[in-house]
Amino acid sequence: MTLTSKPLAALIFIILFGGIAFTTAMGWFATESTKEPTTFTEGEFAGLANPADIRGSYTFGDIEKSFGIPSAILAQAFSIQTNDPAFFAIKELEVIYAASEFEVGTASVKLFVALYNGLPLDLSTDMSLPENAAALLKEKNLTPEQLAYLDSHTIPNPAAASDSLEPAPVQVTESAPESASTEQLIKGKTTFQEVLDWGVTQETIEQVMGVPMPNPLTKIKDYCLEKRLDFEIIKTALQVEADKVK
Amino acid sequence: MKIFGKRLFRPRSIWIRKIVQWFFFLLIALISINHTLIENGGGIPFLSTASLHALCPFGGVVTIYQYAAVGTFVQKIHESAFVLMIIGFALAFLFGPVFCGWACPLGTVQEWIAKLGRKFFKRRYNQFVPARLDKVLRYLRYLVLAWVIYVTATSGTLIFAVYDPYFALFNFWTSEVAIGGLIILSATLVLSVFIERPWCKYACPYGAVLGITNLFRVFQIKRAESTCKADGACSIMCPMNIPVDKVKTVRDHQCISCLECTSEAVCPVAQTVVFTTGAVK
Repeated sequence: MTLTSKPLAALIFIILFGGIAFTTAMGWFATESTKEPTTFTEGEFAGLANPADIRGSYTFGDIEKSFGIPSAILAQAFSIQTNDPAFFAIKELEVIYAASEFEVGTASVKLFVALYNGLPLDLSTDMSLPENAAALLKEKNLTPEQLAYLDSHTIPNPAAASDSLEPAPVQVTESAPESASTEQLIKGKTTFQEVLDWGVTQETIEQVMGVPMPNPLTKIKDYCLEKRLDFEIIKTALQVEADKVK
Repeated sequence: MKIFGKRLFRPRSIWIRKIVQWFFFLLIALISINHTLIENGGGIPFLSTASLHALCPFGGVVTIYQYAAVGTFVQKIHESAFVLMIIGFALAFLFGPVFCGWACPLGTVQEWIAKLGRKFFKRRYNQFVPARLDKVLRYLRYLVLAWVIYVTATSGTLIFAVYDPYFALFNFWTSEVAIGGLIILSATLVLSVFIERPWCKYACPYGAVLGITNLFRVFQIKRAESTCKADGACSIMCPMNIPVDKVKTVRDHQCISCLECTSEAVCPVAQTVVFTTGAVK
């Protein structure tokens, strides 16, 4: 069989776009990471989205989709004034609350979502919430233990948050891994290899985690979920080790 | 070809290839612009907002090791890149590296600049690198490929993106582009005035992967010795400097299946250089 240019061009289009159409129909042609947290697998909350799996790359819109909490409520809780709160990326909170004595970031959103929806979350670590968020949560049916935790972990609202956020774009989503590697901050996408590259030894990592380190290319967060370890605790402990070797 | 001042044969070009190249260039350019717009709250309706990494089949190649080792993709790489890699391999198995010759926008841009080079240097164009040096340099892209696969496998990050001229071409307006990528892109564009497709010939790691399929692809470029006039037109026209007039079947790892050497284009004798599965006499 001999081919000339026109049938070849047609075949290129058919195979390429036919392949894309087929894999799209099968749900295999994903061009971005899914923004859906894992769900509880057992107990009375089985099947519901797990706030512990909320990641810094999520926007308020993603939280609204998975947990049903309106973006406007989330914006109110964290004092974010923007025209479209659904596009606000959670990782931006760390920047806005940078001046605060206590860290407000992804963990804070996890705490807020868990308490707002009455979902379980490990409260053994320190997670801070601003006054607005605490006020919203106190309208909910919280247990005395949760109320006590809230009272001891509430910080003032940020003074300049509203002024600093005009259009609230999702502008940081792609740059996150780069900043993670340059700033040496452990985030949801950080792999063991990155921590090793920063100078933390395998022995130290295994000591912190209490389990053997897997393939270094594995994401720390994925491994914590697999081994049922609390990522927030491991992250904080590894961050301490990473800061030591800076 | 002229005899007594009269033109007997006018070399044609594969015009449909030019249209296909324009199509893919515009498609990728618009998607890249749309990706930037969507991050700023805008966007072009009905057009993909995917990042360039998500639409690069080479992304699939570099993530193979990590996928096999831990079941995840390298950062910024998604399932779509894996799918495109498989489609790219299927096309290459059938037709050779048609992705390079027909779809790759960086190859297209290099060809556009080549027109300028041809205008300046006439027949000297694309003949500047000494043959012996050129032959050695052609294997450089396999070293680049090995390096890219190694650093991606050991770091789990897309380190090549920092040097990738293709990424720089469609992201030069964003903060994501690295100075290394811009320098290599600029060097590629400048060299294209003297050499046709310099990036493809000497450095492209994806071209290196696809080029291997020239050894066993289903459709091959074949030359019928019985009707060949041995005028060398096919070799002169080849953007990759392959001596088509010296072989019966083109198995050179650099062929990009552009068909510019065939009887449909530059070869003046019908059915002499053809793209076929069968034998030719």
